[in-house]
Amino acid sequence: MSLLVALLTSTFFISNAMKSEYNLILDTYPDIIITNQKAMRDSTIDENLIDTILNIKGVRSVVARVWGEYEFTQSEKKFMLIGKEEFESYSNPTINAISTIAPDSMLISVGVYEALQKSYYSEYFNFIKSDGSLKKISIQKGAIGSTIQEKESLIVMSKENLKEIFNYKNDEATDLAVSVANENEVAFIAGKINTLLPNMRVVVKDDLRVKYENIYNLRSGFFLTIFIITFFTFFIIIYDKASGLNSEQKHEIGILKAIGWRVGDVLNAKLYEGLIISLFSYIVGISMAFTYVYVLDAPLLKKIFLNNYDLMSDFSINFSVDYETLALLFLLSVPIYIAATIIPSWRVATLEADEVMR
Amino acid sequence: MLLNKLSLLILLSLTLFAYPEISQDIKDKKIYPMGEKIYKSRCSSFDVNSYKSYDELSKIVKDGNKCGSLSTKHSQALSLYLWDVKREDVKVYEKLSVTKKDKCQVCGMHMHHYPNWVTRIKYAKDETYNFDGMKCMFKFYFNNKEGITDILVQDYYTLKTINAKDAYFVVGSDVYGPMGHELIPFKDKKSAKSFSLEHKGKQVLSFDEITEYLVRSLGR
Repeated sequence: MSLLVALLTSTFFISNAMKSEYNLILDTYPDIIITNQKAMRDSTIDENLIDTILNIKGVRSVVARVWGEYEFTQSEKKFMLIGKEEFESYSNPTINAISTIAPDSMLISVGVYEALQKSYYSEYFNFIKSDGSLKKISIQKGAIGSTIQEKESLIVMSKENLKEIFNYKNDEATDLAVSVANENEVAFIAGKINTLLPNMRVVVKDDLRVKYENIYNLRSGFFLTIFIITFFTFFIIIYDKASGLNSEQKHEIGILKAIGWRVGDVLNAKLYEGLIISLFSYIVGISMAFTYVYVLDAPLLKKIFLNNYDLMSDFSINFSVDYETLALLFLLSVPIYIAATIIPSWRVATLEADEVMR
Repeated sequence: MLLNKLSLLILLSLTLFAYPEISQDIKDKKIYPMGEKIYKSRCSSFDVNSYKSYDELSKIVKDGNKCGSLSTKHSQALSLYLWDVKREDVKVYEKLSVTKKDKCQVCGMHMHHYPNWVTRIKYAKDETYNFDGMKCMFKFYFNNKEGITDILVQDYYTLKTINAKDAYFVVGSDVYGPMGHELIPFKDKKSAKSFSLEHKGKQVLSFDEITEYLVRSLGR
């Protein structure tokens, strides 16, 4: 029974960790993202469009973002490069919190630091520009990143440097991030931008949420299967227990009655027995799940999420306790088990002692 | 010839430091927030009121003695922010926030699910009442006009707190509040009119034009 509880709890823990992680990722997105399209592919966007969009009522701010990926061939890793200009506000709190970046330097996350260390880049890194020449950027001290994805691959540097590496022209940007003050207006404003700039792709945060949820639901289908199987097993155990006592247990109750125990006494003893067994297995199960998920980092079960480049390449589970799940499992296991011990004993205990012993 | 050159030079220097022509929307959404960030991080002890004109102020900012050297874009943002926002004593109202326990004074509804619709009336005797929309607020206002100091509503587009007496309200639009049909508040007539066009509004009214009959008829 503890094993069942452990299995259930750990699947719950992992799926909850996934959910909180993608919520964390979604929080860093702006309300509306505008990208330019050329031949149905993403292309760079003109920064001067900002003023056109700012004139729409209800828009709070528009930022031209410069960001992209850079392949670090030595360790087959993809770095996420984000440009930041001083005194601009970004939707991503990690980027927003960075106050100053020294000229020609970058801030890197833990994962990037480790990858660079392996190739002996500890002071600076040479980015290969699109024309084949090198751009040397020194590494500024201090690790950044709050989501797992960011901790793994984030690099932040000034917009000018990044434009040079990506070979952008002066007023080119990757996309425009629009923030809207009143959330009721987001869809309406997105529609307005779409009519204003028909060849651009306008993506609303809610669309992204749906996309993430779809990926997540696909994975959680597996958890549902585990959930159903464990429940089925659990109820088979319960059914077996509730359907009647074997002759040895019947004899036990019979002897107790013969030496003068009343029905109440027998039920009391059985109540304590059930309570102790179920509580003990519940606690053992929960602590097994805790060690499995948070100490051992969920081997095997975690593999389900690997290779899922849409969400995260590798993820270690952030600690979060979901009391609702714990309470749900408690209510499903402990009272039912107790009931399953008491009811058949009560049936036997109400009979006469000699009838039971016969 | 020399005079010509000199006048050209003067003209040039005038345009360099003259107050730039930028639309109010762009100033509000891009330039002032950037200026505020620069002001807070670089020169929070700047005395704005000692300058008589925008030219004078922007020259000082551009020189970089007071706030460090800034790019043209940043120094323009800072000087515009200082001149337009910091110089005038614009009254800034508090954000209208409510707790989970707060209920609307008129209809008794919990308000924390609809923070964008919260309105507030303050009285001179230190009494404050919160409402879950303009409709409830006006119902209360028509019965308790004595001793009001401030009536605060939130601009629909920016969610900034504004005084209801300066606001414009759109009636009959397709945007509903927590209590159904609403008067939607805006900080200026221009945004109220643009909202009214986009969301099928029927009327744009100032505070004084709103009657008790109108408010009651919205509830039906």
